[in-house]
Amino acid sequence: MSKSPEKKLVTLKSSDKEEFVVEESIAVTSETIKNIIEDCGLELIPLPNVDGKTLAKVIEYCTKHSTGSNDDSKFDDECLDTKQLSVLVDMLLAANYLNIKSLFEKVCTKIADRIKDMSVEEVREVFKIENDFTPEEEKKIRDEHAWAHE
Amino acid sequence: MNFGFRSRSCRVIQDSSPAAAAAMAATQEEEEEREGLKNEEKCCWGNMPLELLREVLMRIESSENNWPLRKNVVACGGVCRSWREIVKEIVRTPEVSGIITFPISVKQPGPRESLLRCFIKRNRSMQTYHLYLNLTQALADDGKFLLAARKCRRTTCTDYIISLNADDMSKGSSTYIGKLRSNFLGTKFVIYDGLPPHAGAKISKSRSTRLVGSKQVSPRVPAGSYPVAHISYELNVLGSRGPRRMQCIMDAIPSSAVEPGGVAPTQTEFHPGNYDSFPSLPFFRSKSSRIEKFLSNSLPSGQRDGPLVLKNKSPRWHEQLQCWCLNFHGRVTVASVKNFQLVASPASGQPARPEHEKVILQFGKVGKDVFTMDYRYPISVFQAFAICLSSFDTKIACE
Repeated sequence: MSKSPEKKLVTLKSSDKEEFVVEESIAVTSETIKNIIEDCGLELIPLPNVDGKTLAKVIEYCTKHSTGSNDDSKFDDECLDTKQLSVLVDMLLAANYLNIKSLFEKVCTKIADRIKDMSVEEVREVFKIENDFTPEEEKKIRDEHAWAHE
Repeated sequence: MNFGFRSRSCRVIQDSSPAAAAAMAATQEEEEEREGLKNEEKCCWGNMPLELLREVLMRIESSENNWPLRKNVVACGGVCRSWREIVKEIVRTPEVSGIITFPISVKQPGPRESLLRCFIKRNRSMQTYHLYLNLTQALADDGKFLLAARKCRRTTCTDYIISLNADDMSKGSSTYIGKLRSNFLGTKFVIYDGLPPHAGAKISKSRSTRLVGSKQVSPRVPAGSYPVAHISYELNVLGSRGPRRMQCIMDAIPSSAVEPGGVAPTQTEFHPGNYDSFPSLPFFRSKSSRIEKFLSNSLPSGQRDGPLVLKNKSPRWHEQLQCWCLNFHGRVTVASVKNFQLVASPASGQPARPEHEKVILQFGKVGKDVFTMDYRYPISVFQAFAICLSSFDTKIACE
């Protein structure tokens, strides 16, 4: 087998100043990064909206995804099979900002599945959501809820 | 998803079998995991743009198409205002999606393209009727509870109170939907809606309609009685030996609703709030029939094509079987005088069209106290249920 030619590399810099060197062909899985490279020809790309921890996971995803091997789906599940909802939310924000459709789709579905399993109180607690219904509205919603669970 | 309280029908049963013990252990594990999750780093949803929240909620909505899991969609609408707004926007009416979601769905027209299948269970001793949505192809299954009705006999009439809550059937309750009232003889019925069917609708002050003044402004009332349909039963020309004739005048639905491009009024909320903001309805003087007078009160201003009239499809006499037959497509299995199919009747002077062939409501017996009820646009579950209740009540041609 002939040696594969040298692949072009780019450096991605996270919001907390961590740097990741990746092949350009993998980095451009992200439409955002692809546009930056095409428009600006940069080799060091700052990503102020993604922290290092999340960026590492995203790069792992893109790397596995771009090889096109059949192990893709197995890896995707592992990569996203985190008990911490906050990690999934960070990945969703990153996938959105970096415009990686397949990752966005998968993380969205994962978060949806997690929410389905939670009670309303749990959702409010975990996501720090304030119950901003008036007492009258709250009563109406409880009636609605009771009917749905009848 | 749930609010953390048991549903009304839940009963705790003591069971000391090994299977139960294993199940208990599994539940305990789940509980511990839940506790663990709560104590972990809580993420703040505050950073989440509404567009992304919408994407997540859309996935929940599209994956939970059937009951009982559809309850998760309703639950998402109860988290906070922004979640509720998004869910309400994503969820489409039964007319479009064929799916019942929020309780208001029972007040909205059924699907245009197909019949929505339901069944009714009668409890003779309690004088109650429970309406369920079919969950499977079976004639009656566990079902999703929709509405309950309780019969209240009075001196000069009978009322069927209809409610979202089987345990609370009082008219003053927040779960009150409406009622069916029959006359003394059980030959004529009126369906009353607890909410105005559309802007400018008149509340019924007494059984007779009184039209006062040249301009009417809708009163500000939290719940009332808005007549929305009139049902009548008559013997056919063969007397009680033949199937009875049914007629339903749907005062709040224009006859144009069944025509191509037609629309039917659709309520969107249970508490429309300040009715004073609705435009006043001019009073139309009319010397013609009572229906016309009623019409000017009931239909949205500008609609002058008459209310939708539903009539029962005439059964055919089967010479060999020596009985009256209707094709219920397998949904009705026991012969009964109560069984019927309703179709839209063409407006007077108009020729019959293909839309007048479609069965809009079908009702029939499948067991001792079990009946199927299939309905579609332009009537709602509430209206369909009330019409079926009248079939239980009427004494015409019952022997």
